[in-house]
Amino acid sequence: MQLFADSATSLTGIWRLLLPLIAAGAAVYFLLPRPRGRAVLWGSICAIVALAASASLLFRFEHGPKVEAFLFFAFSGMAVISGGLLIVQSNPARGALCFAMVVINVCGLFLLQAAPFLMAATIIIYAGAIIVTFLFVLMLAQQTGFSDADHRSREPFLASFTGCFMLGALLLMLDRTFPNPEPFDELLNRLESAAAKQSAGEMRAALGDRKELTAQLERRMRPMPGSALSAEWQSGVDDLEEALGDGNISAADLRARTNLLVRIGRDARRRRELPAENVAAIGRLLFSDYLLAVELGGTLLLVAAIGAIAVAHRRERRPE
Amino acid sequence: MISLSNYLIIGAILFVLGMIGFLTRRNLILMFLSAEMMLQGVALNLAAFARYYGNMHGQVFTLFLITVAACEAGIALALILVLYHQRKSLDVSLWQDLREPGQPATVDLDVPPPAPPLVELPQLTPAGIAPPRRSEESHV
Repeated sequence: MQLFADSATSLTGIWRLLLPLIAAGAAVYFLLPRPRGRAVLWGSICAIVALAASASLLFRFEHGPKVEAFLFFAFSGMAVISGGLLIVQSNPARGALCFAMVVINVCGLFLLQAAPFLMAATIIIYAGAIIVTFLFVLMLAQQTGFSDADHRSREPFLASFTGCFMLGALLLMLDRTFPNPEPFDELLNRLESAAAKQSAGEMRAALGDRKELTAQLERRMRPMPGSALSAEWQSGVDDLEEALGDGNISAADLRARTNLLVRIGRDARRRRELPAENVAAIGRLLFSDYLLAVELGGTLLLVAAIGAIAVAHRRERRPE
Repeated sequence: MISLSNYLIIGAILFVLGMIGFLTRRNLILMFLSAEMMLQGVALNLAAFARYYGNMHGQVFTLFLITVAACEAGIALALILVLYHQRKSLDVSLWQDLREPGQPATVDLDVPPPAPPLVELPQLTPAGIAPPRRSEESHV
């Protein structure tokens, strides 16, 4: 997503962000259960508009491996739709099934993130254990008498407004903090093509304005994952700026400084690979760095089990 | 190319949906399902960061998150059972006398829809002559 990278496009960027947000808020507002019957038609229309608008915001057709994109959009679309169905469901048992769908789709996203162990653990624990326990409690807690609490919702307008406001703030912050890496790649390509030029004058012309270039170099590097390289990058940028300020610098010197920057940038952009043996790597990390946390987690599970038994145990009154 | 921010956006959407559900729904079980959905959004964020930075710490953190969520679910279900036995209903508004002092009480303004009429189920009338029963023999 690239919304507010350049100030010239910020107005359209705001509208591209606001349209799906407002449509999603209206969909949730219309679809939340209420005693007088909900506007299912308007709610579904708003939901479809919101999904389409956010998909067009996220989707870029021309790039990258198609299979990954297809799986990502299938899983995430299903997760978001089932999440929406969960919160508008008036029947809690169906809500539990929707939650199972959310969990399964999130597990698919885990798999896309090279986390197969997490996927298996989440399916077993959530979709297996927790959902079943929820359904048990749901069956145990048969409502006696007629209650319409499931057909009411508390402050639907305020809640959906708050949710949309918070989502907008989150998206804005994400966009500022983790922008698209493509402008950085384009910048690196520009540096590389400039370094391939013959004379210092041509290189200077290809690099463009000195102030602007330095500002761009500093801004684009910041969110890249290779943050350990940022000091090196900063000194490289300073060197290049000094070289560009110097009127009679040799072409070889300028080329060397530019190539250094390109090398650091490519290093920072290189995708860091996760180890192939996922379970082994997790186990190695769990039982070395996180040994104390593992012990604490086990203790927490024990204490929670004892506590749950102590809380749920029904003391029978003894006949005196 | 599916980048980090796409996963973060999906995580944020799941989190906010869970938040809306927690705020609006009045069934205790649906409230806890919504809270668990918020946790799913956070777990997705952690896994995405693990991939982005190329180390396993995010995935390990997600494991701990699942552990804590399992504990939370156990305790929450026990509490829900106890609350249900007290009031015979899962409606959280029945516990609103625990609210902060000075807060107005929630009153359902709309008239609740009429209770569905009880359906008379057909019953078989006993007919015919009951067969004679032998008294039970015991050889104990």
